[in-house]
Amino acid sequence: MKKLLYFALALSLMLGTAHTAQSAKIGLMGPMTGSWASEGAEMKQVLDLLAEEYNAKGGVLGGKIEVVSEDDGGDPRTAALAAQRLSTQGIAAVIGTYGSAVTEATQNIYNEAKIIQVANGSTAIRLSEKGLKYFFRTCPRDDEQAKVAAQTIQKLGVKKLAILHDNSTYAKGLADETKTLLDGVKDLKIVFFDALTPKEQDYTAILTKLKETQPDLVFFTGYYGEAGLMLKQKKEMNWNVGFMGGDATNNPDLVKIAGSDAAEGFYFLSAPLPKDLPSEEAKAFLAGFTKKYGHPPNSIYPVLAGDGFRVVVHAMEQTKSTDPDKIADYLHKDLKDFPGLTGKISFNEKGDRVGEVYRVYKVNKEGQFILQP
Amino acid sequence: MEQFFQQLTNGLAVGSIYALIALGYTMVYGVLKLINFAHSDLFTLGAYLGLTLLTSMSLTDRLGPVWGVLILAVMVMGFVALAGALLDRVAYRPLRESPRLSAVVSALGASIFLQNTVMLIYGARLLVYPSNILPKTVLHLFGLDIPLVRILVLCVSLIMMTGLYLFIQKTRIGTAIRAAAIDQGAARLMGIDVNRVILLVFMLGPSLGGAAGLMVGLYYGQVNFTMGWGYGLKAFTAAILGGIGNIPGAMVGGILLGVIEAMGAAYLSFAWKDAIAFLVLILILIVRPTGLLGERVAEKV
Amino acid sequence: MSIHRKNVLGAVFLAILGLLPLFLNSYWVDVLNSIGIYAILGLSLNLIVGHSGLFNLGHAAFYAVGAYTAAILNTHFHIPVLWLLPLCALTAGLFALVIARPIIHLRGDYLCIVTIGIGEIVRIALINNIFGITGGANGIFGISRPSILGLTLRTPTHFFYLILVFTLLTIFLFHLLEYSRFGRALNFLREDAVAAEGSGINTAHYKLAAFVLGAAWAGMVGNIYAAKMTIISPESFTFWESVLMFAIVILGGSGSIFGVLLGAALIVGLPELFREFASARMLVFGAAMVAMMIFRTQGILPPRPRSYDLFETVEGERKA
Repeated sequence: MKKLLYFALALSLMLGTAHTAQSAKIGLMGPMTGSWASEGAEMKQVLDLLAEEYNAKGGVLGGKIEVVSEDDGGDPRTAALAAQRLSTQGIAAVIGTYGSAVTEATQNIYNEAKIIQVANGSTAIRLSEKGLKYFFRTCPRDDEQAKVAAQTIQKLGVKKLAILHDNSTYAKGLADETKTLLDGVKDLKIVFFDALTPKEQDYTAILTKLKETQPDLVFFTGYYGEAGLMLKQKKEMNWNVGFMGGDATNNPDLVKIAGSDAAEGFYFLSAPLPKDLPSEEAKAFLAGFTKKYGHPPNSIYPVLAGDGFRVVVHAMEQTKSTDPDKIADYLHKDLKDFPGLTGKISFNEKGDRVGEVYRVYKVNKEGQFILQP
Repeated sequence: MEQFFQQLTNGLAVGSIYALIALGYTMVYGVLKLINFAHSDLFTLGAYLGLTLLTSMSLTDRLGPVWGVLILAVMVMGFVALAGALLDRVAYRPLRESPRLSAVVSALGASIFLQNTVMLIYGARLLVYPSNILPKTVLHLFGLDIPLVRILVLCVSLIMMTGLYLFIQKTRIGTAIRAAAIDQGAARLMGIDVNRVILLVFMLGPSLGGAAGLMVGLYYGQVNFTMGWGYGLKAFTAAILGGIGNIPGAMVGGILLGVIEAMGAAYLSFAWKDAIAFLVLILILIVRPTGLLGERVAEKV
Repeated sequence: MSIHRKNVLGAVFLAILGLLPLFLNSYWVDVLNSIGIYAILGLSLNLIVGHSGLFNLGHAAFYAVGAYTAAILNTHFHIPVLWLLPLCALTAGLFALVIARPIIHLRGDYLCIVTIGIGEIVRIALINNIFGITGGANGIFGISRPSILGLTLRTPTHFFYLILVFTLLTIFLFHLLEYSRFGRALNFLREDAVAAEGSGINTAHYKLAAFVLGAAWAGMVGNIYAAKMTIISPESFTFWESVLMFAIVILGGSGSIFGVLLGAALIVGLPELFREFASARMLVFGAAMVAMMIFRTQGILPPRPRSYDLFETVEGERKA
């Protein structure tokens, strides 16, 4: 009897979660637990803030916007479940997620359920090469960034280049693409290409090894935590070499970890920071975020999630519907130079963001990020 | 050759931290035959507590760097020791008489719990220690550039490990711990309060782990809630490498593992560094099934 | 409970289970799929941990070998993925045989770290794109969807029946195994290895056989996982996966088939029920793991001691 009761309880729990849609629901799929939880938490902060602002102005299509967030744990299996769960909750679109492999595990689920998906941190090229109608992303692809990286490296007059990644999909992709672009360039030799183990603390072993190869510049494609530690530790080793990072190193904590004296002169590529954008939207967002949470956003990807959210709401307003086909058509064809929080946004037929997004930044003596001309 | 010696010093610094954490695994294992998977999260807790105490009480500003850090270390070790005792009381003591693997699952659960507690309290972002506490001097010894702090890390670890070793070998309480490790029943018959020994072990081990966490925080300057996993796995590997349950074994294992890693990274491949370390471990265990300094016991019968 | 009543109850339960996809939305069906996959993984590990008493915390390695075998052969040679099931079992089993032979004699906790190490080595090898065939951190994508008798398996409901059938088959075969000569030998050597050795059971041989069989079975689950996800990457085969499988076995009741099934339902199902707690869900899950272990120190449904029908004969003699 007891077992039967439990069973009934479990069943009622399962059925209880199936709501019917009233307001415009937008899903958020992000890593709320696990090693990327900091990104997921900030993605949620950004979307909560934006939804609040839109709702204060009357919402969209006469109703309030509701953000439904689910945890993908930064792991494909959990993400597939999160996607199934979101797709049963009457959402018109979903924002996210961070990792490419994680996004990939959910792409088919959303596409078959006819839900618009706008990824914010999944830069792997192949995600948009499958001809999925409802897939978009606000982050540029790895090859976009690699192109800018290769140009910058050549502009800096580097003769011996060391490329270091961390074996994550993103960092490896960027490293590989950059290497392909620079292989065979005259007067430029890639003297080192290897991966470090992320989330460790002591990188002196790899720095010692790097130093042996005497590069002019080290291009590290991984994340800010490791980059900050390496800057600090190379300074301790009295090694003066240029360092450059990809957009995952764009985080104020980098300077805090390294110390501003060690971080000085560090280059990185990134979509423009909200502070460097002329648009009113970006300024207002930055002010609103700082006011609500006490600090500016730490990572660029949550801001890109905010852009995904904003283009979706914009498309709903323009098409006056939550119909995924109409929204997808609008985003593919009619959206041109939408004033985003990270620059102008348009999408091509694959759902990739078009236009030059990347800028080069350099850290100055005070540890500030200065946009390079 | 210069690279070799430079890598050796790199390995020694990392290894000494592994060794310090490994002591916590090995002591608990020695007495309870339990792998305390939550030990790595106590290490993380130590790193975070250190940061909280440091910034909230501004110890180093008031007392100067030396006394400030010392008092801080004592406080962190005290708190983590309490956490260790609490962990034992809640998660392990109810399982003393049950199958050993049940306690392992409880330990894994406790580890998940602790890790997520830290995440919820401090947030998922990595946090940064103030960087103005430790001296930034770099020494030039035998043509190598060695930061003074690395030498300090090594020395402090060695002092603590020697202290623990002497405590276990030379004092009455230490003798009681050794007795309980060999045969709990017999120790009880000899009038040793085994429960108190276990409590003590669960305070000593974690306090060393907490101290290691504090050192990592002070030296490397960044802490995140998942850092325990990497260090914990390496420290556990080190404890096994040296022969688990054996205190000098944990020290030798830790330092050796640090050096193996640095050398593997330098001369083979960096991306395969951890795989190389595990491969060496497996090879050593095939030759010496109970670790380097482990007692020679046949398959448990 | 008489055997007859047990069978009826079992049939009713199965019927309910089989009809569940009609009443549940695709999310809950997929949760059941996940539970099913981990139940089979748990059963395969149960052979190693529960029956042979080998402390294996690296089972994800064999699961990975199976999944990658299926993915590589499917994407390169377009062999239908379900046809590869036996081959996945073979590669995972062979891999287990090669690595387990030299280490099978290690004492409990030493074996534990060695299996963790093997799990990590496999994961690192996959990430580093070993032999250039694993796709590195990207993993392998574009695995074609499996089809059975012309029906292409696509939705969670389709996979539900595939996984259900595979689970039932596993339960049936492992049940037979448990009561076979092989199963009795394993039981004996787990309870008392010396006595077993003394009775002429080659303990190392039996342990190795159980290890290889469990690994081969996990390899087949890897195949089904690859078929279901159509993309696999190293993230799916971390130490964490091994921990989950291990917890399923011990929590459910080491050595008991129904215990393991229940363990899978709890370990995979609870984090889903705890989604309401948002970012605190894993905290609650960790606490629940400790609490359940304390509450049922032997596991939730430990195997009952084996009983043989002595009593009936004794009674029969009395009557006579």
